[in-house]
This record gives sequence, structure tokens and C-alpha cells, in this order.
Amino acid sequence: MNKQKTPAGNDPIIDVRRICKTYPGPVIALDDFSITVDRGEVLVVIGPSGSGKSTFLRCLNGLEEVDSGEIIIDGIPLDEDEKKRLQIRREVGMVFQSFNLFPHLTVRKNIDLAQRLVRKKSRIEALEFSLHLLDQVGLADMADRYPHQLSGGQQQRVAIARALAMMPAVMLFDEATSALDPEMIGEVLDVMRGLARRGMTMVVVTHEMGFAREVSDRIAFMEEGRLVEEGCGEVFFSHPERLRTKEFLRQIL
Amino acid sequence: MLRTRRNKNIALDIFLLALIFSAAGYLGYRVSIQLHYTWRWSLIWQYLFRFDHEQHRFVANYLILGLLTTLRLSIYACFPALLIGLFMALMRTSRSLFRQLLGRTYIELMRNLPPLVIIFLVYFFLADQITPLLGIDSFIENISPEAGYWLNVLVAPPSSFSPFLSAVLTLAVFEGAYIAEILRGGIESVNRGQWEAAHALGLTRGQSMRHIILPQTFRQVLPPLAGQFISLIKDSSIVSVISIQELTYQGTQLMASTYMTIEVWLLVALMYFVLTFPCSMLIGGIERSFASDSA
Ligand SMILES: Nc1ncnc2c1ncn2[C@@H]1O[C@H](COP(=O)(O)OP(=O)(O)OP(=O)(O)O)[C@@H](O)[C@H]1O
Ligand SMILES: [Mg+2]
Repeated sequence: MNKQKTPAGNDPIIDVRRICKTYPGPVIALDDFSITVDRGEVLVVIGPSGSGKSTFLRCLNGLEEVDSGEIIIDGIPLDEDEKKRLQIRREVGMVFQSFNLFPHLTVRKNIDLAQRLVRKKSRIEALEFSLHLLDQVGLADMADRYPHQLSGGQQQRVAIARALAMMPAVMLFDEATSALDPEMIGEVLDVMRGLARRGMTMVVVTHEMGFAREVSDRIAFMEEGRLVEEGCGEVFFSHPERLRTKEFLRQIL
Repeated sequence: MLRTRRNKNIALDIFLLALIFSAAGYLGYRVSIQLHYTWRWSLIWQYLFRFDHEQHRFVANYLILGLLTTLRLSIYACFPALLIGLFMALMRTSRSLFRQLLGRTYIELMRNLPPLVIIFLVYFFLADQITPLLGIDSFIENISPEAGYWLNVLVAPPSSFSPFLSAVLTLAVFEGAYIAEILRGGIESVNRGQWEAAHALGLTRGQSMRHIILPQTFRQVLPPLAGQFISLIKDSSIVSVISIQELTYQGTQLMASTYMTIEVWLLVALMYFVLTFPCSMLIGGIERSFASDSA
């Protein structure tokens, strides 16, 4: 990929140190999990169902609280402090499998809302930026529609625009295309590809292996809440080190 | 399939209809034979409107005045009730255990006491203390005749202004608990994903509630809220016990002075129905338009 980035390993924007997360049950969702992501890097996370991928993403922006361990985003430690948590959420955009657009607001207002409430932009500023973002995801003429009037693929692109409106330093994608009909997956992946090309730091959970191989700078394979193996795209797919990784890749490829 | 099943039920329908008519007929027969009741329907209408000889026109009489008071009571009570309901629902869904408990206590208290008892409690203890505190009585005394006229038309005659206010407050306190439960149900039924999306954008809990969750809640609970408004109209009849001259109170008074018991209460029932039935129809309309909206 032709993008500008600092040498790997020198400038981690996400620094996750030995986090553990247990759900009542008890279910161990994350078990002593550590990873770093560099500025401008695209990390793709793969793993079987229930391996803790979503939990990992949700911990990164404080939607879930970790039991132990440390998460540092852009130098800000994510801890009990509500102010810091809000600050981090401003820096981290998230795209959900089920879009989660606000059904009572038009597409444009979905994108405006946080700009006005969180970034305190004026109506005009927010409007202009929203339209710019809608244009970027190819939906400039849908601004005044309501979410339920859009196709799944269009809704997910709006959701991406909504997250981008906060000008986040990091974007998290949790199976952004899993709820989509096959013919709509391409349009969403195209938008994500564009983001990666422009140097956005991204953590992407996906089952689209072709896409993973193409855009990822690094791939992490998770199982049972642990990081089994990580590696760079082509090498990871052609010569995985661990037996477990090999088995998983054989199953899904 | 559906056709034949319908046809089969016609026999049953006719039977039911016959049953209802014969029961009603029998009841009418008993009343006319046994009660020695003299119907005086022709006399009751003057209590709706009477002819004023000074003004040379028809003016509203007791029952219509009572109906208007009932309407005013219900409309004025529904706003503070909504505020109380919203406040308590927010307490109830708060993250703080103390606030949850506060909301819970209020709601359970109001829903587990007889309304009549609550009316007396609020009226004699709370309202009696609050209205002098606000200086309402002295405010009313010094009011200009013009303002007095409008107060009379829009709220209540100046002389009974403070009991009217107490009645509004009482109804609001009582209905607020039910509205709180409706709103809480609505808040909790909003998809968790909406909270998460709002949080992920950096909205605070309060902002998420105000801009994301509550708008969706209100849309969803509009039909039950309208239903609660019907309840409010019906429940407003209890304040007749504190001498608010609403429809039920007027009915009681009229019955005592004219002995036209059955006519009075049949007419009063009809008048309540005229007030509530359009609301019911409206709810049906709202529900249908929502159903077609989401389809
Ligand atoms: N809110 C919750 N309460 C209890 N258990 C949970 C909760 N969320 C997730 N889990 C459990 O935690 C484990 C990890 O879940 P997680 O959603 O992170 O997996 P995942 O890798 O995203 O799976 P998938 O590919 O199916 O999305 C699973 O065993 C799951 O059942
Ligand atoms: Mg998941």
C-alpha cells in the first residue's frame, strides 16, 4: 500500500497491555491480551466465533470495562475517569455490524449530531462537513432521507461517515459487512479501502479474507480471548507459524 | 377458509345479540314495573343549557360547566403529570442506586395506594400548605377584572382558584407515577445499540438520553400515553370529593336536588364518553399510522 507512515513499532497509537475481561457466567472473553497498533496502520483481527474480537474492540473505546490491564490510546490511559473516557471516545470511531443509525434522524442529522454536541461546531460548519463526508462515501444525494429508506450497504456507509465526522484518530470496524447482502459488501469495503489508503489507523474485525489480505498491514489471529499469532499480510496467510492458525485458515479460505 | 368460519359464527352472533336485547328489555321492564320510576327526560336538558332571560340567549348550565371543568382539569393536569413522570422515569433508569430507589419508592407508593386516599393526603396536607406559600390567594384578590375574566374562562372562578390548583396538582402527582412507568418501559425498550452508537460518538449519558433515547421513547409510548390521558379524564372524577365542581360533582348535586337519578347519571356517563371516545379513536389512528410508518 502506498501510504505515509512512520516506521513500524515506533509510534503506537493504541497500546493494549495484558487486559483481561470476564463476563458474568463466568465467560472469559479476553485473557491476558496485549497488542499495539501504530499510527496509520491497518490491523485486521480474525478468529473463530466467540474468540473475543468484539470484546477487544469494545474495550478499546470504553464500551466495556476491562477487569485488569491497561489500555492507552494516543497517550491517554483509559481508566475510571469519565472525562478521559469521553476524550478517548472522541478519538476513536466505531462502526457496528448492525449499523445502529439513529432511526429518528435524517442521514444528515445522524452525521451532524455529534459534531454539534461533542465538537461544538456551528450548524453551518457541521452541515458542510456532513455533506462532504456523504460525498466521500458516495451518498451525497441521500442527505435528507431517513435510515429506513436506505439499503443495508447505504446505511453502513452512513454509519462510517457518522464516525468519521468526529475526525477520529482511529477507526474500529466490527464485522462491518457481516449483516449485508453479498451484493452490498463491495461498496462498504470500497469505502474502507479508501480510508486505509488515506492513512487512517484502523482495527478491522472481518471474515472477508480477500479484503484482509489486501488492506492489512498486520493480521492478528485470536482464539479464546488470547492472541495466538500476528504477522504481516502475505506471510501470515502463506506461512502461518502456529498449527491452530493453519487449521483456522484452511477452514475459512 | 376464512369465509366459511365467519359464516359459522353468524348463528352465535345472532344468539348473543338476542341475549343482550332480552337482558336489556328485562331490565327495562323491571325498572318500569318495580321502581315506579317516573322518567322525566324532558326536564334534564335544561341542566345542559338554560335560557337566560336577561341576556336573551342560551347559556351553559351545571352539567356543561362541569364537563368544561373536567376538561380543563385533565388538560392542565397532564402537563405536570408528564413532567413528574419524566423525572421519575429518569430517576428509575439512572445509574445511581439512590436515584433508582427514589423513583421506585414514588412509583410504588402511588400505584399501591387507593387514589381516593392519595387525593385526601395531597389535598389536605400538601396543597393546603403549598398554595398559601406561593401567595396565590392574595394574588387572586388583587387581580384586575379583565384578568379575572380570563382566569374564569381558562382556569376556574377566582374564588375556587386555589382548590382547582390543588386538584390539578393532586391528579398530576397521582397520574405521574403511571406515566413514569410507561416512560421507563419505553426507555428500556430502546435497542442497546443506540446507546452504544451514541457513546461511541463521545456523547455523554445525558446527551444520549436527550437526543437519542428519549425521542425514540416518546414515539413508541405515544399510544399508551394517550391511553393514560383517557385514564386521567376518568380519574378526574375523584376530585369531586374535594368539591371541585367537575362533571361528577355536578351530577351528585343535581341528583340530590332533582331526584332524577337515572337520567342524571346516564347523561353524565354519555358526557364522559363523548370526551374519552374521540381520544380512543385518536390512539387507534396513531397506532395505525405508526404501523404503516415502520412497514
Ligand atoms: N454481554 C455479554 N455477556 C456475557 N457474555 C458475553 C457478552 N458479550 C460477549 N460474551 C461472551 O464473550 C465471549 C467473547 O465474545 P465476543 O463477542 O467478543 O466474540 P467474537 O469474537 O466477537 O465472536 P463473533 O465472531 O461471533 O462476533 C463469547 O463467549 C461470548 O459469548
Ligand atoms: Mg463479534
